Amino acid sequence: MRVYRTLIVSIVVALVLAVPAGALAKRLIIGGSTSVLPLAQKLATAYHQAYPKLSAPKVGGGQSDIGISGAAKGSFDIGDSSRDPIKGVDPHGLVFTKVARDGVCVITNQANPISNLSQESVEGIFTGRIRDWSSVPGSRITGPIDLFDRDGASGTQDAFQHIFLGETLKISPTATAETSNGLEQNAVSSDKQAVGFASFAYTAGVNAVGYQGVACNLRNAKSGQYGGVRNFWMVTRGVPKGEALKFIKWVTSGNATTKRIINSSWIAVH
Amino acid sequence: MAVGAATRGAMPPLSHPRRASVRSWPFVDRAAYVLCWVTGIGLSLITAGIVLFMLLKGVSYLQLGQFIHSPSPSLHQTQSGGFSDPIVGTLLVTAIGIVIAAPLGVAIAAWLSEYGRPAGLARAVESALEMLAGVPSVVLAIFGLLIFAQGFLAFMSQRAFNGTVTGQSFITAGIVMSLLALPLVVAAAREALAQLPDRLREASYALGKTRATTIWRVLLPSIRPSIASGVVLGMGRIIGDTAIITLILGATLKNEPATGTPILGTLTGTGSTLTSYVFNNSPAGEGNSHEKAYAAAFVLLMIVLALNALVTLLASGRPQRERKLRQRALALVPWTR
Amino acid sequence: MLVTDERVERTLGALAVAVLVLVCLLVVAVLVKAWPSFSYNGLRWFGAGGEVDTQLRAMREGTPLPGHGLLYFRAWPLVWGTALTTVLAVALALITSTLAAIFLTEFAPARVRSVLDPIIRLLAGVPSVVYGLIGILAIAPWINAHLLDNGRKQSVAYVVQLNGANLMTATLILTVMITPIMVAISANALEAVPPAWREGSAALGVNRWRTIWRVSLRTARPAIAAATVLATARALGEAVMLAMVSGGRAFAANPLDGLTFLFEPVRPMAAQIFQESEGLTIGPLGHTIYALGAVLLVSAVMLSLAGWAAKQSMKRYGIRA
Repeated sequence: MRVYRTLIVSIVVALVLAVPAGALAKRLIIGGSTSVLPLAQKLATAYHQAYPKLSAPKVGGGQSDIGISGAAKGSFDIGDSSRDPIKGVDPHGLVFTKVARDGVCVITNQANPISNLSQESVEGIFTGRIRDWSSVPGSRITGPIDLFDRDGASGTQDAFQHIFLGETLKISPTATAETSNGLEQNAVSSDKQAVGFASFAYTAGVNAVGYQGVACNLRNAKSGQYGGVRNFWMVTRGVPKGEALKFIKWVTSGNATTKRIINSSWIAVH
Repeated sequence: MAVGAATRGAMPPLSHPRRASVRSWPFVDRAAYVLCWVTGIGLSLITAGIVLFMLLKGVSYLQLGQFIHSPSPSLHQTQSGGFSDPIVGTLLVTAIGIVIAAPLGVAIAAWLSEYGRPAGLARAVESALEMLAGVPSVVLAIFGLLIFAQGFLAFMSQRAFNGTVTGQSFITAGIVMSLLALPLVVAAAREALAQLPDRLREASYALGKTRATTIWRVLLPSIRPSIASGVVLGMGRIIGDTAIITLILGATLKNEPATGTPILGTLTGTGSTLTSYVFNNSPAGEGNSHEKAYAAAFVLLMIVLALNALVTLLASGRPQRERKLRQRALALVPWTR
Repeated sequence: MLVTDERVERTLGALAVAVLVLVCLLVVAVLVKAWPSFSYNGLRWFGAGGEVDTQLRAMREGTPLPGHGLLYFRAWPLVWGTALTTVLAVALALITSTLAAIFLTEFAPARVRSVLDPIIRLLAGVPSVVYGLIGILAIAPWINAHLLDNGRKQSVAYVVQLNGANLMTATLILTVMITPIMVAISANALEAVPPAWREGSAALGVNRWRTIWRVSLRTARPAIAAATVLATARALGEAVMLAMVSGGRAFAANPLDGLTFLFEPVRPMAAQIFQESEGLTIGPLGHTIYALGAVLLVSAVMLSLAGWAAKQSMKRYGIRA
């Protein structure tokens, strides 16, 4: 009897203590683009260091489309997107705030160190019109082209299509779709005939191909010479309010910490 | 013929007939024999290959500092941070899972074995446990998300500022993990209870003890090694699971407590374990550093090896069981209450 | 401490019933969440029609495909991928594990056996993420470099792209994952065959292999059936390893392609659920993912039933697992 009573009392006490504590446990939930993820994680850690009283924002992935729809639905406080808003496709009432810019490179295997691809070659390869490496000027190998694409939800894929292929052309549907920059990088680095595209940060171990005569690196992107640069957005349902507003204001304020973080591998816009 | 043998002299010494060698078998049987050898040795070579491969990669990428440092977000993961948080996360989730699964599992096993009335209900519970054992862990994970994202369970995890409950925390992950370990504990305990001789129970009843006391004081202490091995098997299953962690623990880099309260904050916060850390650092995730993935996978493998050795050790205590049973039966006599 | 038997019985019974209720809740909740997807698509949910990725993208963006609603989904490539990997892996594992179990119990010398037993049991405990890591970093590139040649890639280039993450890699790794469990159970069962039966067979002049084949294996059939059910459940539910190794494209591999069929990409259902984990809260996408989960759940239930039925029929002469 005594055991039962002590057990019940301790459970009740624990619950009584836990419930109000749970009510206070609010956290900024951020999610979406896997390209923005490394930047968002660094910003969240720095934000927590700057304001230790607040719990650190929770940063997740899921790719850009999930970030946008999640923000619209309310599962995220802030959604990350690495593609520009598309009228008619994105839900209404969303506010996009630009936080940084990022470069996308065409990547090939290191056995095929192409230094540059023209607009025509890029269009031909990625739409599937050119199917063999022998038809690509500057290629060192022959054989069929293994095309690597990103998953449909990827913002990087959207950005790549808009910037490199324009509004009408689409990437060939027979390409293998990878669900992250890392998988894309891995796939291209292990296949001699491979070609794909990835964010700047994921060009280790593969050959980053120049675009229209300009090498794909951070310096060229910052100077504006390299054309393949896209925006990183933080998306909120309506105008940012409360904690989300505080975070976004801090990120876009251009203070020394955020500047340092963003300039390390991305291009600052504030 | 005996007569003939007696006239011919002493019998030759008794010897075992020579076993027919494999060479005398028909071709198909010989082929099968060779195939068995090849498969057996091949399977062991594959295991050895996997362990050696992980050993090589792990030792080349593992640094002692990684055990102490926390993971830090960086694009160049090879130079930054370690996996102290994931290790703590693994321990925490396993502890919560086992703390729930072990007593619950033993209680259910005791009920099934010693009471089990009405019979239909007992069969239903057995089928439910069997089904639980066969459910894929992803399905358990999406079920867990469904349950813990409800508003009234918000105290177990965190809320976003717009009010949605995330349902992701150590407590929720631990609870779902306990469902993974439960069938194993119940199976081990039940098998052990079934193997206990009836005379143990009869002796206790003869002394006037109730069934409840018999279970608590006599039966359960006797099956302690089996419960232990069931628990260790459950731990192995919990430690190796990735799907539930990625979906329900949030798989954030560091263990992030939800509030400032010391223990409760960590429990309701998100974090990662070794498995989600390996997944995130592999090319499938976003961590982009296979060196860290190999190092963490190596540590994971060592933990699993240690657990396996523990199970073998616990299981080898069988011959002593008879002795212990006799001791326990004797100990019943002077004990009065 | 005076506890009456009845109170204890009721408490323990309540705990057991709580677990029963939880499992029922699991089935009901998943089915309820999945119902909209099934009711919209009907039985054609299992059929073929368009690309899974395109349909999922439409759900994510909220723009339905022309002529269909948001819930439009045709899961055939996923179902076929699951069926292929599971059936092939279990078939391979059955053969391998039976041969290995026979080897361990009958042919291996005692010293060899005492070394191999713990090694094979270790294989059973390796987490799936480690298998996935080895698969994606070592095995898939190796297969891509050494087994896939340009000619083969050319032959299907207009339909699908081949690389190391394919049916063969997935099946091989899955086989290695499920064999150890089956070996352990089969070896235990073979050991438990009454020695009198084997000696009787030997006395009739039957050689050792035939004895094993006709007597021991027959006796161990219920246990092997139980092991197969367990292994199939594990293969069906394997999500993480398959997501890492073969997540490239939801493609229904075509057996009519001959040997190339083994090199085509697949995406089993569990891997699809795992990959969509972040999108569960979005309406139509959530319903579709829960629908996939419901199919897996029902398959797991039917597997248990099948295993129970198989064991019942073999119970008379065999050894229970």
